[in-house]
Amino acid sequence: MQYGDTGWIGVTVTLLLVTFILGNIFRAKKGKDLYIRRIAGLNAIDEAIGRATEMGKPVLMVPGLGALNAISMQALLIFAHVARTAAKFGTPIRLCCADAAVYTVAQELIRDVYASEGLADRYDMDSVRFISDRQFAFAGGVSGIILREQTAAAFFLGEFYAESMIFAETANSVGAIQVAGSTEKTQTPFFIAACDYVLIGDEFYAASAYLNREPVLVGSLIGQDWSKVAIMATILLGALMNSIEMRGTTVFERKDGVLQPIAERPMKIADTTFTHLFKPQRNPEEDAKIEREKDPKFDAGAGEGGGE
Amino acid sequence: MNGFFAQVIPPSPFNAPNGSAELWTRLVIALLLGVAAVVALMKAPVSVRKPVVAVSTFCAGLYWVVFFLWPRPVNRLPGDMPSGLVDGVGFWLEDANPIVGNLSNVLSAFLLGLGIYSLLRIHGMRVIKGHKDAFFSAVLLLGILAMGVFGYWDWLDKMSPTGPSLALEANWAFQNRVRDFLFDGLLQEMDAGMFSLIAFYILSAAYRAFRIRSIEATLLLATAFIVMLSFMGLVTGLLDGVIDGIKGTADPGFLDNFKLTEIAKWLRATVETPSLRGIDFGIGIGALAMGLRLWLSLEKTAVSS
Repeated sequence: MQYGDTGWIGVTVTLLLVTFILGNIFRAKKGKDLYIRRIAGLNAIDEAIGRATEMGKPVLMVPGLGALNAISMQALLIFAHVARTAAKFGTPIRLCCADAAVYTVAQELIRDVYASEGLADRYDMDSVRFISDRQFAFAGGVSGIILREQTAAAFFLGEFYAESMIFAETANSVGAIQVAGSTEKTQTPFFIAACDYVLIGDEFYAASAYLNREPVLVGSLIGQDWSKVAIMATILLGALMNSIEMRGTTVFERKDGVLQPIAERPMKIADTTFTHLFKPQRNPEEDAKIEREKDPKFDAGAGEGGGE
Repeated sequence: MNGFFAQVIPPSPFNAPNGSAELWTRLVIALLLGVAAVVALMKAPVSVRKPVVAVSTFCAGLYWVVFFLWPRPVNRLPGDMPSGLVDGVGFWLEDANPIVGNLSNVLSAFLLGLGIYSLLRIHGMRVIKGHKDAFFSAVLLLGILAMGVFGYWDWLDKMSPTGPSLALEANWAFQNRVRDFLFDGLLQEMDAGMFSLIAFYILSAAYRAFRIRSIEATLLLATAFIVMLSFMGLVTGLLDGVIDGIKGTADPGFLDNFKLTEIAKWLRATVETPSLRGIDFGIGIGALAMGLRLWLSLEKTAVSS
């Protein structure tokens, strides 16, 4: 149970962050004018599509290897903006998916974008493709499309792993403008080294607010900023409290969740109040005291119930 | 209700003996109902579809939110009865977990079918129309067919309770050998081939990124150079040895801070780790905000703007 694992404060902090985000969404809906700073990677989207239009070559979009989750949805929402601009100019698009669920949603989304622009006749069903759900088969398939169709612009946004370099370098070899962003922090340095524009960290999540300026999204973005300020304050407070507390000594140590007297020794980080707030240790003896009645119909062979 | 979700006591309407005609009948009925529901949803007007999708998303998300927030039963043993309301809801949530997981697996299976349909349509049309790359499309279609047929055939052999042990290669039949050739002999090897390409791509990307064009690129080059050198035993032995030679090896002193290994350690702990933590916090909060918008159906901008 998470109250045992992370303590009540973990849940409270999560709820506080949720309040910040929802509160700012409702604030923005009331018409508050909120400011978003310039993000170079997102400004480059129109430039990249314009270049592809001039060259008469397709725009490639890849939402990464992830399943249908918040990351893939965010990537698809950015791609919807790309597809809308491309549809207006009649620029061909290629959206390659590694997950069947993402593929299905992507196909619906892109078709709706073309329809909402009144350009349903320009929509090519084959522009959204399922390639493979195996990492390197997907990498090979996408690289093949880049090389065969000589894409002029490439957008790699989503969950990427080792295949990120294959995509970025292949696109670079055909001279495509690349805009990339990954939620995997291990891949971000690769993208920075190989791509023209990179969305770092939460810039990826700021993209839809930046592109659409929809009050709900802008409010959510401001809520994220408030949350970051709250986390920074927590870090500062924790650093101060730990610094002061660790000047002293302790005579108790937790073993198997129970405080036991020990010889006096200098405090360690694990002994500080702040650490215990976020990582309290369970007392197995207390847990064992919970008594429950047995189900009279219970058959040990049936395998009912679970356990923690 | 608890037993209904746990699918054990009492027997639920979704259960039937393994391999029985009853089970197959129920599977077929469930499949037909599933397909009918998907088709009905696709044919429904947007004004009907939107609230259905929003309510389904909210209910599915609500389960996980409550599952996260509700205290889970501690020290639960098989056959235990809940000790109160809080414990009872905890039991119910815990027992429902695999069922909810299975529902998402069923949806994924439906969607995988659509993915395969996409591949068959694109590459089938290329073969039929004699596209210039039709040969590759034909190989792909043949590969899908062969892998499906031999993979399933091999799986049936492995699942057979009466067949010979396939752990011994001598017991392998034709289908086992073909599956082994297709999967381990071709697919795995090609995967490894693609993976090994990354080493060359890293080299070419690093060459471009580390050229001294700006202050940032120079800093990046210098930092990378120090960290890379710190992983080379011979280099660190020589350079750290120079510091030891100046100050002696007795006690740690101020000069130890200038050892290559210490500088690299400082860079990783003081420069790299905080940056990555900052990125982590941003990504985590972003995912939370996105999840909230999706759960509450506030994310409607993709098509509407």
